[in-house]
Amino acid sequence: MDIRGRSPPAPRSAAGLLQFPACTAPPRHFELTNGRAAPSGGRGCAHCACVERTAVRRCEAVRTIGRLPSSSVKNSSPWCGLERGKKPCTMKTMTGSNEFKLNQTPDDGISSVKFSPNTSQFLLVSSWDTTVRLYDVPANSMRLKYQHSGAVLDCAFYDPTHAWSGGLDQQLKMHDLNTDQENLVGGHDAPIRCVEYCPEVNVMVTGSWDQTVKLWDPRTPCNAGTFSQPEKVYTLSVSGDRLIVGTAGRRVLVWDLRNMGYVQQRRESSLKYQTRCIRAFPNKQGYVLSSIEGRVAVEYLDPSPEIQKKKYAFKCHRLKENNIEQIYPVNAISFHNVHNTFATGGSDGFVNIWDPFNKKRLCQFHRYPTSIASLAFSNDGTTLAIASSYMYEMDDIEHPEDGIYIRQVTDAETKPKST
Amino acid sequence: MLLSDVRREVWFWTWTKYWCSESSGLLSVLSISLGKKKNSSLLVSNISLTIFNRYCNRDFDDEKILIQHQKAKHFKCHICHKKLYTGPGLAIHCMQVHKETIDAVPNAIPGRTDIELEIYGMEGIPEKDMEERRRLLEQKTQAESQKKKQQDDSDEYEDDESAASTSFQPQQVQPQQGYIPPMAQPGLPPVPGAPGMPPGIPPLMAGVPPMMPGMPPVMPGMPPGLHQQRKYMQSFCGGNMMMPMGGMMPPGPGIPPLMPGMPPGMPPPVGPRPGMPPMTQAQPATAPGILNRPPAPAASAPTPQPPVTKPLFPSAGQAAAAVQGPVGTDFKPLNSTAATTTEPPKPTFPAYTQSTTSTTSTTNSTAAKPATSITSKPATLTTTSATSKLIHPDEDISLEERRAQLPKYQRNLPRPGQASLGNPPVGPIGGMMPPQPGIPPQQQGMRPPMPPHGQYGAHHQGMPGYLPGAMPPYGQGPPMVPPYQSGPPRPPMGMRPPVMSQGGRY
Repeated sequence: MDIRGRSPPAPRSAAGLLQFPACTAPPRHFELTNGRAAPSGGRGCAHCACVERTAVRRCEAVRTIGRLPSSSVKNSSPWCGLERGKKPCTMKTMTGSNEFKLNQTPDDGISSVKFSPNTSQFLLVSSWDTTVRLYDVPANSMRLKYQHSGAVLDCAFYDPTHAWSGGLDQQLKMHDLNTDQENLVGGHDAPIRCVEYCPEVNVMVTGSWDQTVKLWDPRTPCNAGTFSQPEKVYTLSVSGDRLIVGTAGRRVLVWDLRNMGYVQQRRESSLKYQTRCIRAFPNKQGYVLSSIEGRVAVEYLDPSPEIQKKKYAFKCHRLKENNIEQIYPVNAISFHNVHNTFATGGSDGFVNIWDPFNKKRLCQFHRYPTSIASLAFSNDGTTLAIASSYMYEMDDIEHPEDGIYIRQVTDAETKPKST
Repeated sequence: MLLSDVRREVWFWTWTKYWCSESSGLLSVLSISLGKKKNSSLLVSNISLTIFNRYCNRDFDDEKILIQHQKAKHFKCHICHKKLYTGPGLAIHCMQVHKETIDAVPNAIPGRTDIELEIYGMEGIPEKDMEERRRLLEQKTQAESQKKKQQDDSDEYEDDESAASTSFQPQQVQPQQGYIPPMAQPGLPPVPGAPGMPPGIPPLMAGVPPMMPGMPPVMPGMPPGLHQQRKYMQSFCGGNMMMPMGGMMPPGPGIPPLMPGMPPGMPPPVGPRPGMPPMTQAQPATAPGILNRPPAPAASAPTPQPPVTKPLFPSAGQAAAAVQGPVGTDFKPLNSTAATTTEPPKPTFPAYTQSTTSTTSTTNSTAAKPATSITSKPATLTTTSATSKLIHPDEDISLEERRAQLPKYQRNLPRPGQASLGNPPVGPIGGMMPPQPGIPPQQQGMRPPMPPHGQYGAHHQGMPGYLPGAMPPYGQGPPMVPPYQSGPPRPPMGMRPPVMSQGGRY
């Protein structure tokens, strides 16, 4: 499939059958829209049995080829390989319809994925194999790769052409993606765990296990301050001109990036277990905090009591097998910039999308081969990058291959329901 | 006479109430008459507030019972009998689980079968339906006031008779049938059953008066009330008939004891309504059935208290585990489901998915426990209970820290001062580190070693090449660790012990 999604003329298989690419129409999630039952198969795409009415128009194969070939396999659509009439639109959608796996993924686990700030074309991936890679998503190819001396734990875009990354080697590197120039900006005394950019204040923020947060001026680039935290920094997130830091010991600190002389708010995480990830709402009203115990809390930044009353927490990413409930850490959170809904990924391999205002789950994707290490929505909210990578929750065991899945998400999956 | 007075008052009360509520049965009638003198104005003011079912226009005393009724009759999957909470929830369930489509709410009157409206109890009812109901009720009250006059007349008439005489019935039948149109609800099945009523009346009449002080509607002389009463007696109000029969209550005090039995009896009789004709013959047979049913709804009545409102979210504060109950997957509070259902917590889509039940309490307890363990120094997690297991290593360090300690991530880091450690070497070197206060390498997450760690870290940064000096305990280190050291690896080796404290902390 080329960049524009048009399919090339269909090749012929060995048996002489026309082989068509999978119907690109996303399966219709009828149960996610308004509960209306799916229409009968007659209204669905005649070619791929997905019941999206518009699939007939969007099914690229039809447009380019123009007719439905006969298939020797009874009842299976040559387009999608699905049983004809079978509805693929279940909650757990199949990979291949609107999702694909990136090629040339790192050799070891993936620690972080980030989309470029202004396009969904480029994805920055940091990995435990000490590399940071840049992918061209629509083309499914790796554009660039650079190395650290140790496993890279986080990466971030300063702007579409500069990537910053840090990891176990305790060094913070900036890399110019156009010129492939590397620049060692500075470091911490212990591995760097988080790298983020604050556009409002134009500063890069890093958090490290040496219990400090450092600010960096990206233009020079140089260190713009070191601020000590009560504990090791596990996660941080930028909200407007504020910085929310989650540390060990379940502490949460809110800093004002323009005035780092003092901590704006000191809080304790409302969850009883170790903080795993914090992400701020795009509307800057609050943040979402997840723990290792399959729980997510939605909190608000405004300290006034009437706003604080609205905070809540819920359980998620838990599976029950033979009466034992398996509780998984929620490793990754990513917000949809437009709708203010968020996706969570856990070590159970599931990705859920939640509507924090109506307090409902909007969608759950199919189970990925292994733990979800990182999630990233693109800036426009059309694409979700899912890094499925074993996190060593159970030590070094045989695990499925790590991979990065790129999924086109629809409004039905990410938009809050009006009812 | 006391009986007639009570009868009259209760009759009037119940009758007016009966008219006011479209499909109320004796239950709601009696509920209002209970302990109160009739007060038509009070009754009128209550009209718009009555709790009614939007799908079948039935009235209920309590929203809880209404919800039970909705779940059992309108939101129940016909395939697997799973009770959902809303119409859309039922549609989604049938689609996902059974691959079947549903386009109408089961057992709903035509015109109210839209399955896409999310109605829960009294919430979500569209405004126009509320308007429609108010109009109907107002019509009823007007009709009732007319009827009152008629009733008064007939009541006078009735008082003169000691017992309901069957002679009254034929006269009543006609006006009753005349009353059917104003009273008839669209889609009320009883209407066609009216012709079948008369034969049923005499047996009811005969049996009723002696034991039905609370059943004035049964008395002849209440044509419309009687008619409706008949309907409802034979329908779910058949339960009313049944129970008093069992109770044999004295006139006055008989009414209150009747009431408690009524509400639980409300939902079950919905079933009999469609089967009204059979009821006339089967009244005695249904008595035990109805009597059996109240215990079941009563048992489940107390449980679904939280979801009466929109999904609840316990504030995630310290009281999360104890006070408001945990919220299950899909934001649903777990308390309510704990008692009612035990479906496995498949992460399916419906917004009110059932979730784990028995693990609720255990996860509460496990959630409460780490509050102490986390604040204490040896930060291990109390993770498992009999029914839940936390998929996370025991130490309270982050997954990345733990992974960073694996040997394969240590080898890559040539720089001194790397916080990388190998676990295997940690062991033997740990044996050489007794002088280091409280930093056994196997122990991780210990807070006290922090300051020493900081010092060592500083030492590291300050003197990368001066390892032996920076590590007094290792002054003897090199000679003691010849097996571990070769020339090149020595500096990293030498680095390790103090770095191990870092790792130990991690």
